[in-house]
Amino acid sequence: MTTCVIHALERVYRTALILTLLFASGRCCALQSDFRATDEVLKSQQQTIVKLFGAGGGSLDSYGTGTLVSGDGHVVTVWNHLVSTGYLTAVTADGRKFTVDVVGTSAEYDLALLKLRSEPGDSFSCIDLSKVSDPDPGTPVLAFSNMFHVATGNEPVSLVHGVIAARIPLEATQGRWKFPLKSPVWLVDAIINNSGAAGGLLTDTKGVPIGLIGREIRHSASRTWVNYAIPLTTLKPVIETLLSGKKLDSRPTDSAANTRMISDQELTARFGLTMLPNVVERTPAWIDTVAKDSVAAKCGLQRGDLIVLVNDAIITSVTGFRQQLAAFRSGERVSLTINREQQLLPVELQIP
Amino acid sequence: MLLCLLVIVMLFGSVSTANAQQTVIEREAARVETLRRISSSIVCVMDPKGQGGGSGVLISADGYAISNYHVTSGSGTFMKCGLSDGKLYDAVIVGIDPTGDIALIQLQGRSDFSFAIPGDSDQVQAGDEVMALGNPFLLASDFTPTVTYGIVSGVRRYQYPANTFLEYTDCIQIDASINPGNSGGPLFNIEGRWIGINGRASFEKRGRVNSGAAYAISVNQIQKFIEHLKCGLIVDHGVAEFTVATLDTGQVTVAQVSALSDAYRRGLRPGAEVLSFAGRLLTSANDFQNVLGIFPEGTRLPLTWRDSDGLHEGTIRLRPLHAFQKAPELPQERQQQPPEDPEKQDGEEMHADKPAGEVPEPLKSLFVARDGFCNYHFNEIQRLRLLTALKERVASNGDPKPAWVIAFNAADPGPQLVGELTIAASAVGLNLNNRPFLQSTTDPLVEEESPQLPGLLVAMNQLRRLLSTDAAEFTEQQAAGRTFHLPLKKDVDVLLTREGVRTCRWYFDGSSALPVGVDVEYAQGIDEARLLFTDWADRNGAVFPGRIGLISGVREELRWLNIDSVSVNRPSATEKTKP
Repeated sequence: MTTCVIHALERVYRTALILTLLFASGRCCALQSDFRATDEVLKSQQQTIVKLFGAGGGSLDSYGTGTLVSGDGHVVTVWNHLVSTGYLTAVTADGRKFTVDVVGTSAEYDLALLKLRSEPGDSFSCIDLSKVSDPDPGTPVLAFSNMFHVATGNEPVSLVHGVIAARIPLEATQGRWKFPLKSPVWLVDAIINNSGAAGGLLTDTKGVPIGLIGREIRHSASRTWVNYAIPLTTLKPVIETLLSGKKLDSRPTDSAANTRMISDQELTARFGLTMLPNVVERTPAWIDTVAKDSVAAKCGLQRGDLIVLVNDAIITSVTGFRQQLAAFRSGERVSLTINREQQLLPVELQIP
Repeated sequence: MLLCLLVIVMLFGSVSTANAQQTVIEREAARVETLRRISSSIVCVMDPKGQGGGSGVLISADGYAISNYHVTSGSGTFMKCGLSDGKLYDAVIVGIDPTGDIALIQLQGRSDFSFAIPGDSDQVQAGDEVMALGNPFLLASDFTPTVTYGIVSGVRRYQYPANTFLEYTDCIQIDASINPGNSGGPLFNIEGRWIGINGRASFEKRGRVNSGAAYAISVNQIQKFIEHLKCGLIVDHGVAEFTVATLDTGQVTVAQVSALSDAYRRGLRPGAEVLSFAGRLLTSANDFQNVLGIFPEGTRLPLTWRDSDGLHEGTIRLRPLHAFQKAPELPQERQQQPPEDPEKQDGEEMHADKPAGEVPEPLKSLFVARDGFCNYHFNEIQRLRLLTALKERVASNGDPKPAWVIAFNAADPGPQLVGELTIAASAVGLNLNNRPFLQSTTDPLVEEESPQLPGLLVAMNQLRRLLSTDAAEFTEQQAAGRTFHLPLKKDVDVLLTREGVRTCRWYFDGSSALPVGVDVEYAQGIDEARLLFTDWADRNGAVFPGRIGLISGVREELRWLNIDSVSVNRPSATEKTKP
């Protein structure tokens, strides 16, 4: 009888104990709203960030960010235009400059693994991949990145504070490119995805690595800029695979998803534009006629104009022009560059 | 046992929860209290019609307030300023620093304005909590400032001029929201100390709205300009007359040196490694640019460098960067925009003309236009403050025309010197260890100076002019702000005089109406004559220093001349002996 009572009591205590622990930890977490990190945390995180430099132009930046993941000088970043340019240099936090090789890439994870061409004896501070973790929404975070190329040489990169807003699958685009990752990403309530920030590091205020800062992209539904980071717990196995020397998927070249284009009929109906007929394989994007009072007429396009650029994409054919236009949604502003009588002129077009 | 554990856990749990809760609440309360205290110093700066505008911050009870140059440049000479009390005040432009994007204005009508207390922006670090106050998007019609919170993203940032002359050096990068209308408003640390002026942001793809990267001019830089601005000047920034580059090894080396520069005369040559500038250790060319940018033109700064001969140090004076004679125009995209529609493109909606509202009659006397000045009225106030006291003090000198004869001696360092100076209106003569030197005051030549005491004759002629009671002795006189004097190592007010090609900077330390030193520029490519004055006294009816220090040579050695006697009104010996 007494034993029974004691056992029963013990069960109650045990449940209470577990509940208390859960409750206490939950409360503490919810109340944690302090963005202050210690100097040691900030300094040690800064050491793991590199500033990347490559080729850019127009709205494509010639600079970016990378995060060191090995003491030998392996760096992860987003697989964007910068990585694809073929000529990359990196500057470490202490101001050392290195030539960079691309070791491996993953289109599915939008990830590139780079290697600094170091000398024997060089060593690097890096994030500890075994310590990456998934925080709860509401956790204060810090973003380290080379945004806007504010820092040069040995200057510490920019620091932005925010809160994990959500963990959700992301549907977003950058021009015709679609964000490929199907698993959830971290959304942050601060503007962390700025020019050159992609490949930077998101940590909590204790310095625990959380995510790799992504690109400047807009959400597919709302067309608003998205501030996201890919969870390092998601990337960890991918990084480890690439570190081991295995190859992953390469980027699909102009696959079915990317070949959507505006038809000639639609171009005439919506824009008031008729292009020169597509008779050869690469017919240049000459304007044949512009309908009176049409969108095309209002923005100043004329018969005989050659479309050279759509935003920063070079247009080599009328097919390319129709493909580029298909990537924009109604209401968006697109800047065209046209060649009219040997002069390059800018034209702004609002997609009808 | 379990019970014990449970109690401990519950206690611990509840205590830590309570602690966390209390800390958050306490910190919020402290923040609210701080904001209550500092809000009354925030200014909404508008043009005379009460249109457009930006922000500012009061820095003294008599209404001086700091804003951005790109805010005030569109508002004209007179402005309307709103404070958090909901009232509108008249204000006048006082001084501008176009390169540093700073303007000083003075609010009128009260002598008890609330003002912000500056902190030490050199202590600010990445990660520090900050608050930006101002009037973004002109949201508050009652001028209650908007507060945005953030952290410091980086310090000692350098932001290029980018198609304008506005250059942000050594600035504070923050992630607090900065939007159109915030410009000119103050940045505070979490204790409510004023640490900067928010004036710039990285606007790009997302339009002219907050991008999470904004820049504040550090308060320590602004402090170096405030007294200059109070003199109604168009304050310029400086150049060092040599350039540097960063090596891959992290060293900062000299690329080029102008052969006419202070630096060249101190011995700086291409290839030398620059170790520190203005007391700050350098690790990159950016560091150098950052240090250079925080000082007004004319400041003398110490430089340390290393070459094959070893370590060297010397001081150099910053030369003018732009030398604006009039307030420069800003490109349209840098002028303060009417911030209603952030999606609008740069320059799309601009004031066609500068606003021409009604200026109340009493205000008009607060502005005097003159080339080379922002508002000459304020220069006159500061100039007369220095000159009136000086002229009263030297009134006993009387008629300046008779010659002064000054006997002096000098001992260590260097050889024993015994000399006699004769200072007359037409010439200055020096008999030094029985060697004669004579220099005309109207056309002084460098080669007429003595090699042991270079520049002494030309400086003595200038001193006689200053100490005469006739204010018309110089063709130009102006108050020129405040500077940290080397080698005196103290803040001194500067009175600038010009006479022909000779420019003098007279230094006053506030302890007396008489100057503590002067630097005389008298010929290009020649070191200035740099003199110190101490032990001023009336001697035989002449107010004259008891000791004169002369700084000269590659090593800038200081040599003191002890004045043995001064006599006046004797017939001018130099006039007679003039060839």
